[in-house]
Order: sequence, then structure tokens, then C-alpha cells
Amino acid sequence: MKDVIDVMELQNTKQRRNPLLDYKKLDFNKGFTPARFIFECGIKLHGQPLTLATASILMHRFFKEVDPSQYDPFLIAASSLYLAGKVKDDPLKIRDIINVAHNTLHRGSSPLEIGEEYWNMRDAIVQAELLIMRVLKFEVSISHPHKYMLHYLKSLEGWLEKEQWYNLPIAKVSAAFLQDFHHDPSILEYTPQHIAICCISLALQFYGVQLPLIEDGDDESWFTVFVKDLQKDQHWEIMEKIMDVYNVEPETS
Amino acid sequence: MINKLKRYEKIEFLGEGQFATVYKAKDIETDNIVAVKKIKIGSRQEAQDGINRTALREIKLLQELHHKNLIGLLDVFGHMSNVSLVFDFMDTDLEVIIKDNTIILTTANIKSYILQTIQGLEYLHLNWMLHRDLKPNNLLVNAAGVLKIGDFGLAKLFGSPNRINTHQVVTRWYRAPELLFGAKQYSTCIDMWAVGCILAELLLRVPLFPGESDLDQLTKIFSVFGNPTEENWPGLKSLSDFIEFKPFTPIPLKNIFTAAGDDLLDLLEGLLVLNPIKRKECTECLQMPFFSNKPAPTLGTKLPLPQNIRKTKEEKPSLKRKLLDSAEGGTLSKRLFF
Repeated sequence: MKDVIDVMELQNTKQRRNPLLDYKKLDFNKGFTPARFIFECGIKLHGQPLTLATASILMHRFFKEVDPSQYDPFLIAASSLYLAGKVKDDPLKIRDIINVAHNTLHRGSSPLEIGEEYWNMRDAIVQAELLIMRVLKFEVSISHPHKYMLHYLKSLEGWLEKEQWYNLPIAKVSAAFLQDFHHDPSILEYTPQHIAICCISLALQFYGVQLPLIEDGDDESWFTVFVKDLQKDQHWEIMEKIMDVYNVEPETS
Repeated sequence: MINKLKRYEKIEFLGEGQFATVYKAKDIETDNIVAVKKIKIGSRQEAQDGINRTALREIKLLQELHHKNLIGLLDVFGHMSNVSLVFDFMDTDLEVIIKDNTIILTTANIKSYILQTIQGLEYLHLNWMLHRDLKPNNLLVNAAGVLKIGDFGLAKLFGSPNRINTHQVVTRWYRAPELLFGAKQYSTCIDMWAVGCILAELLLRVPLFPGESDLDQLTKIFSVFGNPTEENWPGLKSLSDFIEFKPFTPIPLKNIFTAAGDDLLDLLEGLLVLNPIKRKECTECLQMPFFSNKPAPTLGTKLPLPQNIRKTKEEKPSLKRKLLDSAEGGTLSKRLFF
């Protein structure tokens, strides 16, 4: 366990843009997951953030149960999106999913003709959907960190000095950390409350914000008012995992 | 997965709906009788949309809900390209009971049914869930007289402030006036209106407002309660499908439900309020005098059953029962009823 999170490193990393990835050339064995594909397609489909979070959690849970080399990551990703749309009552049309997924994989290509290839894909997505449901034992409800984060942030709004709260994008950055953490399967290992706290914690560290009226002691931290069962070392562990997400991002040519 | 298929031994075919077929089956591991609902998944030729959203809702919501007055989802399993849901087996439903002329529904019986309904619904609402399709047909009753709310195919979470919902929910006869006027944001009040209609139906033995169209539905409602106004229902005219109706004079409920006691009428009046904000919530209803006044709600085992179920029950007057009876008679004096 490190005593300090190296926020400098995080701040200094090169200006990030969203490069267009050539997914077909990616190697998913090195820690990079199809979550990126889910988020890219999901945003193009105008899915709600919670729908995309659900899709990536379903995908991670599925790959945790099976041998990942046996399944096409993009098919599972597309199916997870389709299923997540149903789970979250934010329906995504299967035809849109096929077109968006196809275009994201084969950038610049024209939409798929309604023909054999289209129907095969549709069939595959539907079959994979059922497979995911069965592998997950039909347990598809997910408790997300988002709602906890919202409440914690709402409380912090009154805790922090007004000026700091309005000048620093704490809420925005916390939410960004949370969304990005969905790229890492280790998100499954922690409770939604703990994840929410750690995303906020990281954002506070990032901007060097010290909460007033409290001193971080050995047995007390700012978050003890929200969660009683988050140990300090686990708190660090989760923050490090969140930061690690940015290290597995593939270099784009 | 094969094991699961064998675990539930088919006894008889119960019915077929648009999306599913239902079988009565025996769980050979526990010896319990269950209902297996096999979801139809579109054949290859049809436009395939994968797992049915209605079924997914039931799976998702019922896995998290556990209350004696809500249907229990015991198991879910997949076989080939099918999904099957295993539920508590329920012998009958309130629609059958209401229509069965050989059954007498006393105030105590009605109290028992409506109490169980509201208790189940209270739990549902406390968990931020709307049922959105309450009707006698979805209130299932077993031979022990336990009522369970069933069919969660339209149920939905509520409470998200900017969520737009469809107003095309709830079977028309039980649909609240705000839905008929096209409200897209609504809350637990739509279920409460339906409970009011069901309570009325238990008394009348026919639906209270059997509308033939959405407009006819509103006409029937207003012919009893009179027309709503901006005064008793602020914001009424801003509903998207609002239209003015010819004026009606309200009829006192006492004149429609001549046999009902005042405490029951109070409950009914608390439920069937045109303005959704003024309608009573489950928790408020349960505190009303009707539920604490005499007569006490009939015990489950004493509730009347439809003829066909009564018969099968009587056919096997079990030895156990006789033994219990004699044992009771031997040691305890028969309870007195006043």
C-alpha cells in the first residue's frame, strides 16, 4: 500500500483526446476490456448513462463466469447493450445496435443491408442475450454506485466552502471517474457505496481539496459519516484501481 | 439445465396468454405445487426481439420482492431457447370469486381480501414500485385464503423526477381519471384508484365502471362523482388529453352501495377521489377505522372458495384433518362466536 496517490502523474499525463480506436486490432488479453466499445456504441445510441453502466457490468459479470477466449467480445458487448436497454426500461432498438456496432467496428462503411448477414447478426445478438441471462442465473438487477454518489455529493455541497464547490468541478470529475471505472472488471469486487466514496475521494485529491472541520486521523476519515465499513487500505486500493484504468488504455497509432 | 426441466413435473395445462403458457407442476425436490410460466420466444421466421420485456420485468422486480401478499418467484430457468418462470401455485383469483354466485361475500370476507391487497401494495409502494395493472383477475388467491398480487408485467419503478411514463397502462375499467386524461407523470395514486374499483366490485359483484371506450370510461366515472373542476383538482386542464364533459350531478356513494357500512364507505371515498393528490395512500388506508372495526377480517382458512376448488378439497377429507378435529374437541372447548 502506498501512502500517497500519485495525483501528479494523473495530472501530468498528456492531454487526452478521444482517439478513434481500431477495435479489430486490439488485444483484449492485456487488461483492456470491451467496455470501451460498449460506451462508444452506447453514446452513439443515446443510451442513458445508467444503461451503459448496466451493459458494462453485465459484460464483466459474463466474462467472469466463462472462458473469455470462447466468445466474441463485440457480440457480447452488443448483446449486453441490448439487454441493458430492456433491464433499465431505456429500450435500444436491435437494428440500431447492429448498425452502430457494425459501423464502429468497420469505420466508414455503409449501413448493413437487410440480408443474410444482418439476420445472422440479429440472431446472434438474441441468442447471446439469452446466454448472458442464463450464465448470470437471470440475476440482472444491478445496484449502481451512481445514486450513492449523488447523495454523498449533495452532502459535500454543504460541507465544502461555497467558492471551492463552485469553482472546482468535483461532481463532474467524480462522475467521470465512476464512468471510467466501469472499464475495469474489478468494479465487481466492491460495494457501490465504497466505489462512490473512492471516486469522490480521488476527485478531492486531484484538486487538493481538504474538507474543513475534520482531520484525517487513523480511525476517521471524511467518508466515515457516509460509510462505516470502508477501511483505509481498501480505500487506497480502490483509488489505485480507478487510476490503473487509465494505464491500460491502448496506444493509438 | 436438464435437471431443472426434470425438477418440475408437469401436472396439467392451466392456460395460454399472448406471451406465455402456464402449467401446474410439482417440484419434485420439495413436493410443492408450483405454476410454471413458459415464455414464448419468437420463432426464427418472426422478427426476433429476444427476451420479452414483460418477462424480464417480472424476473427483475420479483427477484427482489418478498412479501406474503405478493406472488413469489421461486425459480427461473432456461431450456433451449425458452425461459421459464416458476411461481407459487395459486388456486383461483378474485375475478372468479366475485363472479361465483354461490359465494357470499360478507363484510368480513371483503375486509380480508382488501386488507391483504393493500398490505401487499403498501410493500410494493414502499419499495418504489408501481404495479400499474391491478384488477380482480391479477389478485390471486390460494386454497388457504391467502391473496397475492400477481402479474408484474407492467410494474415499474417510480420516483425519477423527469421520467415520462405511458398513460396506456391499467385495464380500462380500473384506470384512474388522470391516466384517461393522458397524464405522463403519475405515482402510487393510479394503483389506489384501481384498489377502489376492486373494493367497489367486491360489493357490487359487477365492475363499478365498465367503460366501453376511454371517453365512456370517464363519462361513467363522472356520472357518479360529478365533473372535476380546477378548484377540486388544480392542474386538471393542463393534462394533454383533457376535454370538458357535459355536467353531471354527483350521486352519494351511499345510494350505490346500499348495504355497505359507513366505515367501508369512508375507505371507498378515500380511494375513489378524482384528484390523484387527494387519494389516500396504502399506509393511510390501513389506519382507517374500517380495518379496526368489527367484524374482524375473515381468517384465510375460513374464506369461501369457488365451487370447483371447494369440491377437490372436500373430495379428500384427510384423515389428518379429522384427527386434528377430534384432538381439538378433546382438549379444547369449541371457540364461541358472538
